[in-house]
Amino acid sequence: MSAAAASAMRILPAWMRSGRVIIGLLIVATVVACALFAPWLAPHDPEEQDLLAQLLPPFWQSGADPLYPLGTDALGRCVLSRLIWGARVAMTVAVIAAFGAMILGAILAHVAGYLGGAVDWTISRAVDVWMSFPPVVLSLILMTGLGAGVRNVILAIILVDWTRFCRVLRSEVLVIARKDYVAAARLVGFSHTRTLLREVLPATVPLLITLLSIEMAVAVIVEAILSYVGMSVEANIPAWGQMIADARREIHHAPWGLVLPILAILITVLGFNLLGDGLRRTLDVRLNQTREG
Amino acid sequence: MSLLVARGLTVSATIAGKTVQALRELDFALAPGRMMGLVGESGAGKSMIGRTIAQVLPPGFRVSGGSLTFDGRDLVTMDARSRRDLLGKDIAFIPQEPLSALNPVFTIGQQIDEHLARLGVCDRGERRERALAMFDAVHLPHGADLLTKYPHQLSGGMCQRVLIAMAFASRPRLVVADEPTTALDVTIQARIVQLIREMQEKSGTAVVFITHDLKLAAQICDEILVLYAGRPVERGPARTVFASPTHPYTRCLQLANPNLSGPRRALHSLPEQMPGLLGQLALDGCRFAPRCPLVEDACRRAEPPTVVTGADHAAACLRAASTASIAAPAIGTVPAGTGSGGPLVTVDAVTKRYALGGGFLSSRRHFDAVKGVSLAIARNEFVGVVGESGSGKSTLAKLIVGLETPTAGSIVMGGRDVTDGSRLARQARLDTVQMVFQDPQSALNPRRRVASIVTQAMEAGARATTWDERLARARELLREIGLPPETATRYPSQLSGGQRQRVNIARALCTTPKVLVADEIVSGLDVSVQAQLLNLLLRLRDEFGFSMLFISHDLSVVRYLCSRVLVMWRGEVVETGPTETVFANPQHPYTRMLLAAVPPDDPAAAWNPLDEVERLTA
Repeated sequence: MSAAAASAMRILPAWMRSGRVIIGLLIVATVVACALFAPWLAPHDPEEQDLLAQLLPPFWQSGADPLYPLGTDALGRCVLSRLIWGARVAMTVAVIAAFGAMILGAILAHVAGYLGGAVDWTISRAVDVWMSFPPVVLSLILMTGLGAGVRNVILAIILVDWTRFCRVLRSEVLVIARKDYVAAARLVGFSHTRTLLREVLPATVPLLITLLSIEMAVAVIVEAILSYVGMSVEANIPAWGQMIADARREIHHAPWGLVLPILAILITVLGFNLLGDGLRRTLDVRLNQTREG
Repeated sequence: MSLLVARGLTVSATIAGKTVQALRELDFALAPGRMMGLVGESGAGKSMIGRTIAQVLPPGFRVSGGSLTFDGRDLVTMDARSRRDLLGKDIAFIPQEPLSALNPVFTIGQQIDEHLARLGVCDRGERRERALAMFDAVHLPHGADLLTKYPHQLSGGMCQRVLIAMAFASRPRLVVADEPTTALDVTIQARIVQLIREMQEKSGTAVVFITHDLKLAAQICDEILVLYAGRPVERGPARTVFASPTHPYTRCLQLANPNLSGPRRALHSLPEQMPGLLGQLALDGCRFAPRCPLVEDACRRAEPPTVVTGADHAAACLRAASTASIAAPAIGTVPAGTGSGGPLVTVDAVTKRYALGGGFLSSRRHFDAVKGVSLAIARNEFVGVVGESGSGKSTLAKLIVGLETPTAGSIVMGGRDVTDGSRLARQARLDTVQMVFQDPQSALNPRRRVASIVTQAMEAGARATTWDERLARARELLREIGLPPETATRYPSQLSGGQRQRVNIARALCTTPKVLVADEIVSGLDVSVQAQLLNLLLRLRDEFGFSMLFISHDLSVVRYLCSRVLVMWRGEVVETGPTETVFANPQHPYTRMLLAAVPPDDPAAAWNPLDEVERLTA
């Protein structure tokens, strides 16, 4: 690397210099761009059926139609367009559900870890009880109760996964709340709320971001599973899980219809996980200390 | 014939592309059965010697010159196998942190058994017999019970005795004790140190005793080697070095330590701090020159040669002859508080009770951390609280500042009881007290800049303050506590330990409180930094006028700072009165024990800390 490039790298914060973070960010940004600009990016209307062009193969195979770069499905709908539109559902669920789970989990974790005592006991036991149900069972029960629909998928993910945030963050808050600087803030006249926001929260934010990114990957998978079984979006909205379900019947003579949405899910999840892992490695102060020390 | 000999021993490392020396041209010869004290502040390179002997240098460090021989065999070039045969048998170590030196998942018995098996004791029953005999030798009672205990079930002092027993089990020819008492209470320190001395005399072992405490080294060692920034600056017979040091650094160290008897002296505080590994590169001459009171131009040009200043006594200084001229004048006793207007804080019969475990249906047991303590702090009065760990000193501090609520009793500030937890009580507390915490590492938020930390109180006020206002106030406070104004925009991790503790004090002073509660605020610091801070506190009192409750385990520091003292034992105040009276004529046996545990100011005086312990426990 040239000296100029090296000095340019030094200006960037540490987390921007990690290879994992950069690759993760690139993947996530691509998927998000697809979701945001789907109407302009997609070559076709995802629901437009061309019954004369059913089950066309993708462009690298013989018999492909340049109009449909990734081929068509059994109803002659453009796979590429459906994949691009499918990113919309995936990203909507990923972002809203992950933020929702984070907000619920983080608030309870901070209150429990900071106040301790009976509050901590109650919240921690609630998490224990919650976590004793297998997440798949719990989400299926919830979906049965709530009924199908994207909104309910989001709600189910929030209600199942807030415990992840709560348990991990609580132990972090517990460590920070015992620091003398937190006591010192109280002694100079900070209210409990201000102490939590100004002294404790800044120290837990790196962990929060990392968990958030991993939770988004989880949400993408959960949404795919639920749309595969038809519990998520209605049939007229393209979603990756739904595409897999649709392509099942033609698995032998048109495997690409199945493989492509799976790849989309896989790459998106990989992107979030790389981002989360990279952030954890660069933002976690304790990890940095052990590496340098 | 000397046992351990260092000739021009140099340990260096490459940091940021530059070669730095952690130890430089070290020469000494330790004869069998002798005890050598290695004295220096943190970073002086004293632990590096122990690490060189065991060849466990930190990554990047290597022996770059000279030799270190044990019984004529070179320890540096020796192959790993022969070294392994020596370590633990002929050369044993006593570590600094007894608890972390023992494996927490094995019992004491298992660990001793393993050690003895390694030493070649084959018979299981014989190993057990040996272990019990070892416990006996280090005065550990109930040896058979102890074998089945895990390290966490023992106190730090007991763990250290176990380790001493293990170190001497093989009748080694050399024992390296690296600050073996730093993590322990003073009374236990006295016992441990005497135990090492006793074991050493019994088995004729040579001991390298690494410590930061010059007085302690003078008391128990035969000879002393003083290190400064990796360079040996003075060596000689222990008592001679302490009584008439010939290197200015040794002299300053001696004068930076407050005395417990005789007239109260001003503390000689050295400016700034010892240069770090990289800082030494900028110094061409004597490494002590920037801080030396006797410095002259020649000192800065070349490193001073070692000159013989007496029998077996040498110092690396050009001005060794005039070292004795550095003096600290005697000053009167600490001024008592001004009584006008009644006490600022009155603590009346305060008790703090903690529930201990106790399970479902079984009755809960409890423990009184503080039992019926009463005290009053007058205007401008510095009150000392002394006692060992577990005596309730820190709980008392937390009760006063409001981090804990008392179970019984009252605390009155500004004319009202502040223990009811109301908004007004909190305000009365905010107006009166502030706390300075013990560990600046934990007490300063690593994500805030210094200016933001010291003016944190302004953030809490009802009126919004601008950053400029806060920066201005921060600069003002930093000037008062003797830090350069550019410190304001630094982060705590960029400061040294002493600087952090100053920031800690500045934060407490921001709202100009009437009373400071200071919990062991100088205990983790080097002697010269401690002297700077003690003098700073006295100066700040003259300037601002505030009272202080000064909690410390170090009696001589309390004598230097406080006009009145409270002695706490098991949650109760067992003795109280003017510091001079209490220390000169202690009434309670516990106070006598605490006083006896401190090495006497005169190294030639008899030191029998164990007598008092026996009297108290009898």
